[in-house]
Amino acid sequence: MRRNLWRNFDFYLFGAVVFMCIFGIIMIQSAIAGNAELLDSPRRQAIFVAGGIVLVIIMAAIDYHLWASLAKFIYAFAFVALFGIFVYGEARFGSARWIDTGLILIQPSEIVKILMIMVLAEHFDRTKDEKRDFRWIGRSFILTLGVVVWILLQPNLSTSIVIFVIWFAMLWVSGLPAKYLAILGVVALLLIAVMFPFLEDYQQARILNFIFPNPEASYGEEYNIQQSKIAIGSGGWFGEGYAQGTQVQLRFMKVRHTDFIFSVVGEEFGFVGTMAVIGLMAFIILRCLRIAQTASDNYGSLLAFGYAAMLFFQTAVNIGVNLNLVPVSGLPFPFLSYGGSSLISTIMGIGLVESVALRKKTIQ
Amino acid sequence: MNKSKNFFGAGKNWRIKVLYILILLIFGFYGFRLFTLQIIDGEEYKAQADENRISNISVQTERGIIYDRNGIVLAKNAAAYNVMITPADLPGDEGATQEIFRQLSEVIGIPVSRGELTDEVVTTFSPCNTDLGIEQIVEIADTNAPYTPMEIKCDVDKEVAMLVESKSEEWPGVTIEVEPIREYPTGELTSEIIGFLGPIPESMEEYYTELGFVAGRDKVGYAGIEATMQDTLAGKNGLRVVEEDVAGKVIRDVEPPVEPEAGLNIKLTIDTRLQQAAKAALVGNIKWWNRWFNDVRFTNGVVIAMNPKTGEILALVSYPTYENNRMARYIPAYYYQQLSADPNRPLFNHAISAEHPPGSVYKIVTAIGALNEGVVTPYQSLVTPYSIFITEKYSQNDTGYQREFVDWKAGGHGQANFFKGLSQSVDVYFYKISGGYGDEVKEGLGPWRMSEYAKALGYGALTGIELPGEAEGLVPNPTWKRINLSEAWSTGDTYIAGMGQGYVLATPLQILVSYAIVANDGVYMKPTLIREIIDSDGNVVKEFTPTKVWDVTKDPLITVYDDNDLPTDEKKTIEPWVIDMTQQALRMTVTEGTAMTIFQGFEIPTSGKTGTAEYCDDIAQGKGLCDRGTWPAHAWYVGYGPSDDPEIVIIAFVYNGTEGSSVAAPIVREVFEAYFALKEIDEGKQ
Repeated sequence: MRRNLWRNFDFYLFGAVVFMCIFGIIMIQSAIAGNAELLDSPRRQAIFVAGGIVLVIIMAAIDYHLWASLAKFIYAFAFVALFGIFVYGEARFGSARWIDTGLILIQPSEIVKILMIMVLAEHFDRTKDEKRDFRWIGRSFILTLGVVVWILLQPNLSTSIVIFVIWFAMLWVSGLPAKYLAILGVVALLLIAVMFPFLEDYQQARILNFIFPNPEASYGEEYNIQQSKIAIGSGGWFGEGYAQGTQVQLRFMKVRHTDFIFSVVGEEFGFVGTMAVIGLMAFIILRCLRIAQTASDNYGSLLAFGYAAMLFFQTAVNIGVNLNLVPVSGLPFPFLSYGGSSLISTIMGIGLVESVALRKKTIQ
Repeated sequence: MNKSKNFFGAGKNWRIKVLYILILLIFGFYGFRLFTLQIIDGEEYKAQADENRISNISVQTERGIIYDRNGIVLAKNAAAYNVMITPADLPGDEGATQEIFRQLSEVIGIPVSRGELTDEVVTTFSPCNTDLGIEQIVEIADTNAPYTPMEIKCDVDKEVAMLVESKSEEWPGVTIEVEPIREYPTGELTSEIIGFLGPIPESMEEYYTELGFVAGRDKVGYAGIEATMQDTLAGKNGLRVVEEDVAGKVIRDVEPPVEPEAGLNIKLTIDTRLQQAAKAALVGNIKWWNRWFNDVRFTNGVVIAMNPKTGEILALVSYPTYENNRMARYIPAYYYQQLSADPNRPLFNHAISAEHPPGSVYKIVTAIGALNEGVVTPYQSLVTPYSIFITEKYSQNDTGYQREFVDWKAGGHGQANFFKGLSQSVDVYFYKISGGYGDEVKEGLGPWRMSEYAKALGYGALTGIELPGEAEGLVPNPTWKRINLSEAWSTGDTYIAGMGQGYVLATPLQILVSYAIVANDGVYMKPTLIREIIDSDGNVVKEFTPTKVWDVTKDPLITVYDDNDLPTDEKKTIEPWVIDMTQQALRMTVTEGTAMTIFQGFEIPTSGKTGTAEYCDDIAQGKGLCDRGTWPAHAWYVGYGPSDDPEIVIIAFVYNGTEGSSVAAPIVREVFEAYFALKEIDEGKQ
């Protein structure tokens, strides 16, 4: 058994992810465009990628059932970490999201995404025989909210939404009845309406600006999405070439190496580049879903499915922002965008999914 | 084998399929969007990206320098230094900013804080011209355009500019702007000739932009030579097409840059020394008389000196004028208003734009016409009492009434021939030859023929001098009067016109030209201010070539009228002997005529003509001076010399100057003296 374990390792998935990560480092190198403060970014990202690959192996080697048995501790850990940062967090960029370990800054909310996949998968697996009633929905919701509330208060709306999306995806796949789906839809809409006044000013402005674009705001809120649209559009079929995109290299675009890395790909590698990146992401997501379907048990399936849903949601929102189809949200592009915490968290998820793949049911 | 229920098993995975479909739909839609964005609209976005990065930078050229005929600089370029603050570049820390303001304040002498920002103060705020403190100016700049440098103090000394520049490290956001400005070393002395510059007017923006000028930065001529020679002086701005980053930093030239072409330098015909002498003579005399009268009686005046052989204007004085250095940086509103409101119109060039009745100086027209047409012979003596009565009638059959025409000299002149008539300015002589007088002068010159001679001598038309706003003057004839005044030409109109009164109007320059024609034996040389055009390397681009307009003794200019005063196709010239006789008579003005006393003791023989032109304009009417018989009068004198070979012709005009011989003639004499003295100096040098 032990000897055969790695036989089921999904090398296609792993290879695609490694390829994306390396491509990400290359694109970050181009995107910093000579900005002195960012010069170190590609090297740092490379270290995270290397660490991440080791982490994939470690996570894959660990039997994922361990996480099910540790679910309560994981939940407690997530709660404490987020509550801790809420209380002691260091204020950066107007919101407290980071823990300074002295060596690196860690953004716990990113890691919590993966932790919540573990916790919720365990929860839905444990309650899989319960009646699909309001109580069943409510319990999982409260479980999710107990952690997310601290992220919301940071305030970090986008990560909160990602975790709720993970929750909803698992709820859905665990058999959410259609009538509750309708009710949930209405409740969500009401919640948005009620919550809107409590959003931070910049969040309100972003959303309003997206729904009602101000034609005169050429240098205001709309500036960057406008510039990224120009960057993508000017790429044409094959792009301007690596490190040749004028929108990027002359810094007309902001946050190029993080949230808008997709636009950098669009400008420098054109339609071919953007389609290749989307195709590769679709491949990664589909591989995860395949693993979900071939997992040896429900818990494993839920882990893989929850992760695939998260990956898809983040990718879709990030590209949507770059294409000005979605309000600016600050979600990074999985594997490509610069950022240690998010990279570690996403790549850790791959390890988790590989762990499921290793232990899939086999016709013996 | 597995007891646990798996939602992902066969038959249950439709819920996963929903996700597959979502992935397909959303990624498919993104693919479609990307295709639209990158392939279909790609070119458009590429153009927008190019617009982002590519900038056209106009490289400012240098305006040409204006020299006088001896190479003295009349207009040049200088640098003005402005202290600027870019609000966005100031340190974010309030204390540090305050410290910069405090230190800067000590250097430039503008208080850190002064004045309060009310709506009115903000809307009427104009940089360079404000009482506000540094803080207030920066606040205005910060609200309007925080990334654009704002003038804090304009035109600081070079030392201050260098000091501020050296502090650039310590004072982030504080910079020095170097602004090219025009400097006029001779200022008010030559402003009526040189003019001044101003911003490109909105109405002309399109025109100048097409020529490569930048509105708001480049300036164009508003008056004088600066305006008329704009195209020559301005040069051509260079152009760089560059790639810029988001901060506006130039990365590289996208196309080979087009270097700016410097404007051409102009050497004027003006002799600044003579200009100075002429201005001193005019202003000195005006002031002397005003002190004498203890009243500002003489308010404006003109002196022009020209070489009749070449048409070169050596001096051109219009008084009062303005200080063009005050317009060097920008046109200060209060100064401009003050100039505009001045009843003596300092912005108006009296020498070329003012139309006045010429009075007796116009008598050469009647004199030349009468001799050339055989109305009288030169030595024919006419009776010239104090006054004569003439029948004033408006048509052939009009019985009319007797109207008295009087002479300027009480008691009359007894008898006068052509020479005495012109040199003594005998009015009655001119009445008689203009309109005829009984059997003594059977047929006068008449209005039609008179106007022909006036035009041949340069009246009623632009001379084409290189200054803006030249006026045409007016040579009246019966048709003109019928059209413009709806009235028939009366017999009296002819007598009056022969004296340069009535409807006749001329600019000082036109009168000067008519005497230059006579002095130059009938050859009309175009008056000009431009001697040479020189490029920035010192090569002469255009040499001076005198322009002959016509020769009245050779070119048939005079339309011959038949007995019914109708023009025929025949044209004739002025006989050279007529010009000769006129020259002799004008010489006699100085030897024994109206200018004898004034020119007593002047060794070089000169010729001339006095003029006392009665006028009744709005100003005189307003003062209630227009009483019949005692109208106010302008003083004129035109002279040229040396009489046998004239090289300079000078006119002096004093508005409301009362009498030509006593007021205008001395000015001309002073200019003559200066001219010949300067000539001696120049010849001594060689």
